[in-house]
Amino acid sequence: MIELYEQLKQRYALGEISVQRFDLVFITVPRENLASLLLYLRDTEGFTHLVLLTAVDWIEDNKFQLTYLINNRESATDLGLRVIIDRDEASMESIHDLWPTAATYQRELKEMFGIDFPGSPRIDEDFILEGWTEIPPYRRDFDTLEYSRDTYLERPGRSTSDPAQHMKQLFYPEDKD
Amino acid sequence: MSIRNILSPFTAWKYLFRDPVTIPDPLNDRPGSPRYRGFHKNDMKKCIGCGTCEAICQNGAIDMVAVEGIDASKEDSGLRPNIDYGRCCWCALCVDVCMTGSLTMSNEYKWVESNPDAFRFTPGVDKKHWDNAALGYHRPDGYQLTGRVREQMPELEPAKRIESFDEIVQGYDVEQAKLEADRCVACGLCIATCPAHMAVPDYIAAVRDGDYERGLKILYDTNPFSQICGRVCTHRCETVCAARHEGDPIAIRWLKRHITEQVPRDRYRAIIGDPAPPTGKSVAIIGAGPAGMTAAYDLARKGHAVTVYEALPHAGGMTRYGIPEYRLPYETIQHEMDLILSMGVTIHYDTRIGSDITMQQLEQDFDAVILAIGLQMGRSTRIPGSEHAGVKKAVDLLRRITEGEHIDAPKSMVVIGGGNVAMDIARSMARLQKQQHGSIDVTLTALEDLNHFLADPDEIKESLEEGVNILDSRGPQQCQVDAEGNLTGLKTWKVLSIFDQQGRFAPSFDETDEQIHPAEMVVEAIGQMSDVNLLGEELTERLEWNRGRIQIDTNGRTSESWLWAAGDCVTGPDVVSAVAAGHQVAKSIDAVINPVEALTHA
Repeated sequence: MIELYEQLKQRYALGEISVQRFDLVFITVPRENLASLLLYLRDTEGFTHLVLLTAVDWIEDNKFQLTYLINNRESATDLGLRVIIDRDEASMESIHDLWPTAATYQRELKEMFGIDFPGSPRIDEDFILEGWTEIPPYRRDFDTLEYSRDTYLERPGRSTSDPAQHMKQLFYPEDKD
Repeated sequence: MSIRNILSPFTAWKYLFRDPVTIPDPLNDRPGSPRYRGFHKNDMKKCIGCGTCEAICQNGAIDMVAVEGIDASKEDSGLRPNIDYGRCCWCALCVDVCMTGSLTMSNEYKWVESNPDAFRFTPGVDKKHWDNAALGYHRPDGYQLTGRVREQMPELEPAKRIESFDEIVQGYDVEQAKLEADRCVACGLCIATCPAHMAVPDYIAAVRDGDYERGLKILYDTNPFSQICGRVCTHRCETVCAARHEGDPIAIRWLKRHITEQVPRDRYRAIIGDPAPPTGKSVAIIGAGPAGMTAAYDLARKGHAVTVYEALPHAGGMTRYGIPEYRLPYETIQHEMDLILSMGVTIHYDTRIGSDITMQQLEQDFDAVILAIGLQMGRSTRIPGSEHAGVKKAVDLLRRITEGEHIDAPKSMVVIGGGNVAMDIARSMARLQKQQHGSIDVTLTALEDLNHFLADPDEIKESLEEGVNILDSRGPQQCQVDAEGNLTGLKTWKVLSIFDQQGRFAPSFDETDEQIHPAEMVVEAIGQMSDVNLLGEELTERLEWNRGRIQIDTNGRTSESWLWAAGDCVTGPDVVSAVAAGHQVAKSIDAVINPVEALTHA
């Protein structure tokens, strides 16, 4: 895997490498190199299978990270290509022409993270969240608890106590707040 | 169409006699996988009702409910999580965050029931057949959402600190404090244990947010001795902290100190704000220690005219005259006192009630009087030889050191006592010995064994580091005096037991195990008492007493309607308890002398 990295480095501008295991390596790459790298890895280096495409919300840095995990069946190795994109204009070139299955992942990312992949088949159709009107739920600024409280009815008869207030009532109720 | 296409379906026949991979009865015989996240289990012996599970639940599925038969204590709210499985999404965040590891999940997930309310229950309380299930999701070892190790406090090395009275503890920097604050889950279990009921989670949140001015405001709402308590508080809060179950308790005391250090001193007064307009009522306070000055602060902020009478030249009481400077610098105390005085409090130093002014005069001149005189007189062991001039009381020596008096450090000395005062004098004298003789020879003897010392563990550890020779389970028998009348040492016997079967103080000794500890000076640090001579004979007679202490009601009021008492002189030695008592009497007095105002503010 390290040799592959050294070899790729001669042809492409690459970012940092992180070796998770001997058979699992992640490389950060510039977004403009992604498609040609994937094509080269698929057709020349034997990484024929797209395992998954997923995203991480680095809200503090105002970035999304996309991870393209590809697999070489021959050598049983996995390679993850990481692309960092801007969070405000979250959009990325589609790779459905390299792997048709990518379209499904991209549809999911559009719905859950709000990352657009222009040109990807059925990209604007609902995936699993039918009629969703909030911000995409996997964005970290989505408040799950608030959504849950607003959306689902509370069963009648529920009540809760704050531990500190409860102990105050028991142990020192005379003190004013 | 080739022949292969026609024959290939028949290859399926080869599976005919293989065991099926499917389950015969999928509705009944399908256990969850070993780490399946099924219905919750909660170990009632471990749960402390901290409510962190409720706080982390992203579905609002958990309520903290009181449970019959589970009593609250200072370290357990008595509440238990009640889970609404109509909302639970089985994510197990509650299990991952649980501070004691009491909450886990079984691998049971099948339950058919027509009553929807049955799916709301309290695991561990409402018995279920999976309560003893061995399988299911538990937080994996080593996987924890909150940091378990306390940020190391930077301190002076023993060799360095023994050379002077410089402050040992250096304080957290901002980054350390944030990391430490991040470990707090804000459950608030600590608030009930703090005598002053400080809003601990709120000021720790202020540290996390880096909003130190807000933090300072919160501190001074409940504790005008925040800078002092941030250094020397007995921090009982940390003994009930939820984090201590699977790691170090949060360094609550150091975070308080950190806030006070981050706010520039000239900002304090503006942040705390001005007192209320004058009410025309007046209160006299005897003693400028934590109880007296806290009451002064509260009453002055309510607009009452407060006059404090202090027998010594500086305010602070035992925090100044008892606690050595390496634990609590005088300039810190001075800033704290100046802040309280800036609320319009008048103080008369070097003024002794009883001789300079009488109690009767205070009774006449003021609407109320607070007695907050502390415990100034050291108790004596009364062993033979203890009346010798070379036998000193720890509190007297500490006071003389604070006053800047030169003390001839003996080349060798013995301290009797195992509490914090004993450590204070042993370590102070060790510093003086180092300065005057270049070497240390301090032996400390205590009745208790080392595991039962009354001193804080930190004090014991630091004393040992500084070269104090600690001998535990030694009972003092006699101060040895030679033919010329010079003190030569202390004789002790081995302690067999301290209390009798009824729990009364009655030490028994092994007389065959006798030791003589050579010493030019013996210091008694076995406790203090109040000097109540200032009351005068007539008032002493009128007051009600309880085992040598002035009798007070729950508000700190004595049997005389104009006189309240607070602090060490009525409740025993502890800074933050004295602060709490100061608040209590101030509140009580305000209600009495200013009833209308107090009502409208209630």
